[in-house]
Amino acid sequence: MMRPIRMNEIPSKDRDSMKRTILGTSFVALISAGAAMADTAVLTTYADIAAAKYGDSTATAKVLGTAVDALIADPTEASLAAARSAWVAARVPYQQTEVYRFGNAIVDDWEGKVNAWPLDEGLIDYVDPSYGGTTDENPLAVANVIANPTLTVNGVEIDATNITPEFLAETLHEADEVEANVATGYHAIEFLLWGQDLNGTKAGAGARPASDFAANDACTGGNCARRADFLRAATDLLISDLMWMTSQWGEGGAAREAVLENEAVGLSAMLTGMGSLSYGETAGERMRLGLMLNDPEEEHDCFSDNTHNSHFYNGLGVQNVYLGSYTRIDGTVISGASLSGLVAAKDGDLDAEMQEKLGATMMALGAIKDAAEGGFAYDMMLEAGNAEGEALIMGGVNGFVDQTKSIERVVGALGLDGIAVEGSDSLDNPNAVFE
Amino acid sequence: MFRSLVLSVVVMLSIVAQAAAQDVDLSTRVTAAVEQHILPRYARFATSARALSRAAFSNCNADDAELRRTYHAAFDDWVRVSHLRFGPSETDNRAFALAFWPDTRGKTPKALAGLIADESPAGLAAAELMQHSIAAQGFYALDYLLYDPTYMTMGVPEYRCELIRSLSEGIAVRAEEINGDWGQYFAAQMMAPSKAGAYHTSNEAAGELLKAVATGLQFTEEARLARPLGTFDRPRPKRAEAWRSGRSQLHVVLSLQATRELTTVLAGTTSVGERMDDAFETVLNNATFDDPVFAGVAEPIARLKVESLQQYVNALREQVVAEMTVALDVSIGFNALDGD
Repeated sequence: MMRPIRMNEIPSKDRDSMKRTILGTSFVALISAGAAMADTAVLTTYADIAAAKYGDSTATAKVLGTAVDALIADPTEASLAAARSAWVAARVPYQQTEVYRFGNAIVDDWEGKVNAWPLDEGLIDYVDPSYGGTTDENPLAVANVIANPTLTVNGVEIDATNITPEFLAETLHEADEVEANVATGYHAIEFLLWGQDLNGTKAGAGARPASDFAANDACTGGNCARRADFLRAATDLLISDLMWMTSQWGEGGAAREAVLENEAVGLSAMLTGMGSLSYGETAGERMRLGLMLNDPEEEHDCFSDNTHNSHFYNGLGVQNVYLGSYTRIDGTVISGASLSGLVAAKDGDLDAEMQEKLGATMMALGAIKDAAEGGFAYDMMLEAGNAEGEALIMGGVNGFVDQTKSIERVVGALGLDGIAVEGSDSLDNPNAVFE
Repeated sequence: MFRSLVLSVVVMLSIVAQAAAQDVDLSTRVTAAVEQHILPRYARFATSARALSRAAFSNCNADDAELRRTYHAAFDDWVRVSHLRFGPSETDNRAFALAFWPDTRGKTPKALAGLIADESPAGLAAAELMQHSIAAQGFYALDYLLYDPTYMTMGVPEYRCELIRSLSEGIAVRAEEINGDWGQYFAAQMMAPSKAGAYHTSNEAAGELLKAVATGLQFTEEARLARPLGTFDRPRPKRAEAWRSGRSQLHVVLSLQATRELTTVLAGTTSVGERMDDAFETVLNNATFDDPVFAGVAEPIARLKVESLQQYVNALREQVVAEMTVALDVSIGFNALDGD
């Protein structure tokens, strides 16, 4: 949602120079304002947890890759169900990484490849007639590349005969400069595994049959081989993109180095990520806006109906960055010097407040997750006039908004007043909603 | 990200501001802004929004001259307050329901087509429609029904008629609610800050008002201008605001006029106030070229004027924030025109 001018619309050269100049100036201001110098150990823990989270994301994506291979080799309802389970499992560590996104430019610049959302899925494959056609915004909204080996993008004919990772990443993704043209990442894969969720605000996820990947006459939905190519290519890309990011957080990796380079900047990155993911991104764009639109298409994981988990693990990611402790998918714990400890040393009450707020958010997100798993699907919560659903979702929104205020106090307590938390139209009152 | 970095400069400047603090009676300035800028504008909006609803009830044909006249008048008055996104405009998502734009995924046409195709009861009564998706409410939805040939003829005329009436009444109700809340309590909270109210100090209240100016200018630059501009190779004239009713450029002008007034009222009769007034004057002089819906973005020469205006607005925002934070000794804090 609000996607006014995003970083990727600014030529990267300008962006980088702008960043350097501006940051350079603000560092001076920070230091002159008496910024606290942090214990490097806190930043090391932060980087270690990032490496573990991206490592877990890579490992679970590889499991997904194996399941996708099995599905394509033998498309049955069982192999499709296994691939879907693998996708859901892969989201658990990845959603916890999102807290690294906003404060770290290297993550933010890369993230669009793996988690771009929302998407105009008609670009990729067949859609229901109720989906509509092209829009003012996107002439490719129903281009259906799986059915069409040739596309016309802004008057230019594009050869889509071979659906390869390169084609998806370099040609189709964000084609015609439209961000809703998502051809790579978790949500493109999600659409291929589930199909559109046509249940509106009723329970139920997408119901793509396994035969959409079948060979010869058994093929449903047409062009099954191209659909399988797309799924395979998108999954391969996801794995390679996650591997790349994991290495950035390893010893000597660029992301780790950037965090460790300057203590005030490293702490700012941590808090900016916590605040921006809490406030602008999750509470605003992903939760409150969907509620105001009563629109299940606004669900973050709308094809799979996995949205309750997405929000839950976003919240958990924020909490574990603050506490400096992450439980890996194999159950081992990565922990060390924490932001919490740093704050406690300065202001015990504030640390207690921050921990309490983070805990309250997790309770609220847990209530959404429990309700969804108990049969009250996130779609149903979004229905116009569904007071119980609205109360559940707003509980999560309020938790995130509330904890953002405490994050701002932490920023102040650590003398890092120069950082800014990215906000949201749907929370913070600028002049309009950007979707 | 980009925004947050720019804002870190803002914060930096506010640190400088503290050093250069001037003697300003912020309480007086805030009171002047509320009494001279906010209250009259919301009162006027409430009146013109009610007139729109009355016109729709008396004649709901999309091409009725009186309906269209009142529509434009009410929309003008909304744009004149659209920078004031705090307090009563945010209660119950009122401003979102009045103005859901930009609509980057075409939610509004889809929602309207759904209502009309199903002849949904939700469109037949304002109270029902006001519970519905914000995409199917407010001025930008009405713009389709009054000016888009597809929606002007979609479904049955009787249903469209009731939908136009419901939309107009929803606009009127929300305008009156916002205006009422300002009069009943929010003006007092701003003018007489207290620990129990929304603002603890006049400094916080003045910061809110300056943030409204900065955010209003930023929205004009990033949405009203940058969206139709797109890139040189891919201009996007159909992303201009309310192009169907020919209002795109008008919104830029109205919003500049409104933020100018708020800025100068906040500055008072000072040298800063004069500089602000001159700066707005210059930008407004560059905003009145003949291109009402920014169709020119697709032509190299005409495009330059829109690009140039965008640069003027950007520079204006930077100047206003830099000078006014110092003059008032306030911080505008975290702005929210970011998200994803």
